Amino acid sequence: METEVSVELQRLAEILRQSWKMVRTPRMRAILKVQDVACDAMRSFLKSEGFIELLPPIIGPVTDPGIRGAKQATIDYYGREYKVMSSAILYKQAAMSGLGKIFFMSPNVRLEPIDSALTGRHLVEFVQLDLEMAEASYFDAMAVAERLLSEAVNTVRDTCQKELELLGRQLPAIKPPFKKLTYDETLEYLRVRGIKVRYGVEIPWDAEQLISKMIGEPFFIIDYPRGARGFYDMEDERRPGILRDFDLIYPEGYGECASGAEREYRYEKVLARMKETGEDPRKYAWYLEMLKEGIPPSAGFGIGVERLTRYLCGLDAVWEARLCPKLAGIYSP
Amino acid sequence: MSLSKPFLNIFLALHRFYSLFTDLAEIWGSYPFREIIERARKGVDAIYPADVLKPSIMLLKGANIYKQPTRYATLDELLLLPPAFTPLRLKKMSELLREPIFSDVDLRHNLGGFNVNMPVMVASMGSVQVANKISLEVARGAARMGIPMGIGENVATMWGYSRRIRSGQPCFKERVMTYLENLDGNVGGLTIQQSVEDAYNELWNKVYSDPDIEPFIEKGLIGFEIKIGQGSKPGLGGEVRLSREEAERLRDKYHLSEDPQNTLRDSIERHSAPGTFVPEILRGMIRMMRNNYPRCRVWVKLGPFRDLPEVLDVLTSEGVDAVWIDGREGGTGMSPYASMRHLGLPLIAALCSISRQLESRTGSTSFIVSGRLYDGGHLVKCLCLGLDGVAFGRPIAVSAWVAGARGVENYLRTVELEAKMLISALGKYRVQDLSREDLGCLDRDIAERLGVRYVYA
Repeated sequence: METEVSVELQRLAEILRQSWKMVRTPRMRAILKVQDVACDAMRSFLKSEGFIELLPPIIGPVTDPGIRGAKQATIDYYGREYKVMSSAILYKQAAMSGLGKIFFMSPNVRLEPIDSALTGRHLVEFVQLDLEMAEASYFDAMAVAERLLSEAVNTVRDTCQKELELLGRQLPAIKPPFKKLTYDETLEYLRVRGIKVRYGVEIPWDAEQLISKMIGEPFFIIDYPRGARGFYDMEDERRPGILRDFDLIYPEGYGECASGAEREYRYEKVLARMKETGEDPRKYAWYLEMLKEGIPPSAGFGIGVERLTRYLCGLDAVWEARLCPKLAGIYSP
Repeated sequence: MSLSKPFLNIFLALHRFYSLFTDLAEIWGSYPFREIIERARKGVDAIYPADVLKPSIMLLKGANIYKQPTRYATLDELLLLPPAFTPLRLKKMSELLREPIFSDVDLRHNLGGFNVNMPVMVASMGSVQVANKISLEVARGAARMGIPMGIGENVATMWGYSRRIRSGQPCFKERVMTYLENLDGNVGGLTIQQSVEDAYNELWNKVYSDPDIEPFIEKGLIGFEIKIGQGSKPGLGGEVRLSREEAERLRDKYHLSEDPQNTLRDSIERHSAPGTFVPEILRGMIRMMRNNYPRCRVWVKLGPFRDLPEVLDVLTSEGVDAVWIDGREGGTGMSPYASMRHLGLPLIAALCSISRQLESRTGSTSFIVSGRLYDGGHLVKCLCLGLDGVAFGRPIAVSAWVAGARGVENYLRTVELEAKMLISALGKYRVQDLSREDLGCLDRDIAERLGVRYVYA
C-alpha cells in the first residue's frame, strides 16, 4: 500500500538509517551547541533558585501511565516485568518529599503510535528537565517555568549568535509573565476560527500548532478538564471537573513546551482517579503506600529538551535535535 | 436399615447416568441448537421449516414454533404487524420503476462509527477455550460478511499477543489480523476489550502503536470497548486461569486463589474484579480514551443493570460511539448458576427501562442489544424499537463449530434474508424507516412501557 504517508516514512527511515553521520555536519554541530548552552542556562538558573539536581531513575515496577496512547517499554527484571521510565513523575514526588525543590534531566522512552513519526514533534527516546517543588501551587510552578524558558532563550540569543546565524534562525527575545488562557477559552478561541475540538480531550496537535502560530509569544493553557490528564493532576475543589494544571506553548507553531500541574497527593483521591485508566491500583503498590503514609502537596512540570532545542534553532522536526534519534516504527541506529 | 453395597453402587451408577442424560437433555432443550446448526449447514434453505417428514404431512402438522416457556417475557412477546397500505413501498416503486420485492431492502447501516452491510455484530468473545479455538473461522466469516466483530477480554493475556502460547489456540493478533485482512474495503470494524490484566500489559496502547494494525486504525476500523458487565452475570467479574509461571510472575499484582509456589496444579484461578464505576470514573475513562486514542471508536458494553437510564445519560452525553446492552439471557457460557438464575433484567425489561432514551434519540451514539437473539425476526424487532443493531454470540460460535467460516457466512445470510423479508412485509425498504408502529405486543404492561400497540386492543 503506497500512500503518501508511507512514502514519507520511507524517506525519513532512509535518512535516519545513517543518523550517526549527521553529527559531523556543521548544522548538527550548531544545534547540539545551542542545546548544551540552553541546558547549562537552565541548570544554573534552577540551582540559583535553590533546586537540587538528582540523578534520574531509569527503570521501575511502574511508570507514568499518562502518556497519551503511547506504550511503555518493558524489560525483564529477574523474571518480573519492569518499565523504562516514560516520565519520572512518581519518583519526582518521592524525591520532593525529602528535598523540597528538585529536578532531573530525565531520559524517557515512549513507544509512540506510528502516526507520530511524521508530526515533527515526537521522539521515542528523549530527555526532559523534570522538576517538582514542595508546598507550591501551579501558579508557582508556572512562574518558575516562564522564567526558566526566558533564561534559556535569552542566554542562547546572547551567546550563540554564530550558531543561530548558521541555522538561519531569528530568535525573538521573550519576557515573562506569559499570557494564560484557560482550556475553555482556548476551545472558544479555536471555535471562532472554525476549529472544533471535542471538550474533555487534550488539544489535538494540529489545533495546538495553529493556536501557537496565532499567538505571537509563549503562553499557558491552564485548567484542563478531568479526563484529559494523568491521575496525578489535582482537581480543583471549588470547580469540580477542572484540574489545576497547565501546558506552556511555544509561539510560531512549535507547539507544547512544558506540561505541569499541582499534584493530587491524597491517597483516596488518587485511587479513584486511577480507576479511570481501567488499571488495577495494586500495580502502583509502592506509590500508593507512599501516599498513604503522607507526602507534602507539590507542583511541578517537565520541559522536553529536544523540543526546546527545536524551538531555539527553528528546526522543522524535533529529531534534528538529537544524536541518533528514534522515531515511532523506524528501525534506526 | 441400609442398602447392601453392590445394590447401592448400581443405584448410584444409574443415578449418574440419569443425571448425565437429563443434563444433556436440558442443555439441548434450552437452546435452539438444531435450528442454528441447520442454518450453518444449509444456509438460506434452512429458514423454512424443514422436517424429515414429507412436505404434504408438514402441511397437516404445521411447524414446531412453540418453544419451552421461560419465566420472564422475551422478544417473542412482540409481533411484527404489517399494514395493507404501504406508502413507502409506493415511493420505492417510483424509484425502481417496478414493484419492489424483499431483496430490494437495503440493510446497510452505520453501527458505532463503522459502516456495516447489515446491522448485526459478532459479540465480543473472549479467551474461553471453546470460543478462542474457532475464533479465526469466526473472524473470517464476519469480515467477509462486512459486519463488525468484538474481541473479548484476556485473549492477549491468556493466549499471547503476537505469539501462540499453546498450539491450536490462536493468539490475539492472529484474531485481529485474520478479521482485518478479510475485510472488503471499509465495511466492518473491530472492537477490542481490555481487562485489568490486559491493561497491566497495556493492550490498548500496544494495539495503538502496532505497525501492522496501524493502516486499519488510520482507516477508522478499530474501536476500544469498555466492558461494564455481562448479561448473565451483571456485577460479577470474569474468571481467568493463569499458568503457574504466569501466576508466579504476577503474584505481587493480583489476588490468586492459591500461592503459585505452593501448589502442584498447572494453573491457578484468578477471579477478576467486576470493576468499580461511578459517573465520574466512567466519564474520566471515556475522556482518557478519546484523548489517548483519538482515531479509535469508543464502545461500551453493559450488563442488564437496574440503573441503565442513568448510565446511558452519562454515555450519550460523553458521545461514545456505541452502547451495547446485554440482557440476562446473554453471555451464559461461563457464568455461575446462581447468577444465571437470580441476577439482572431480562432483555425486554432492559428495553422497557431505556424506552425514554430510545424514543428521543439525539446525538450519534449507536444502541446495540444482545441476549439469546438468533434470527432475522429478533433483529427487525430490535430495529423497530429504535435500536441500531444486535449482537450475536452463541449462534456464531455454534455455526463456526459445525461448518467453519462458511457456516458463519451461511448463518448470517439466513438472518439477512429473513430480515429483508420481514422489513419488506412492513412496506419498508430502509433500516431507518422502521419504527414502533410496526410492532405489537401480547402483554398490555410491556406494550405500554415500550410505547407499542397492544395486539388485542
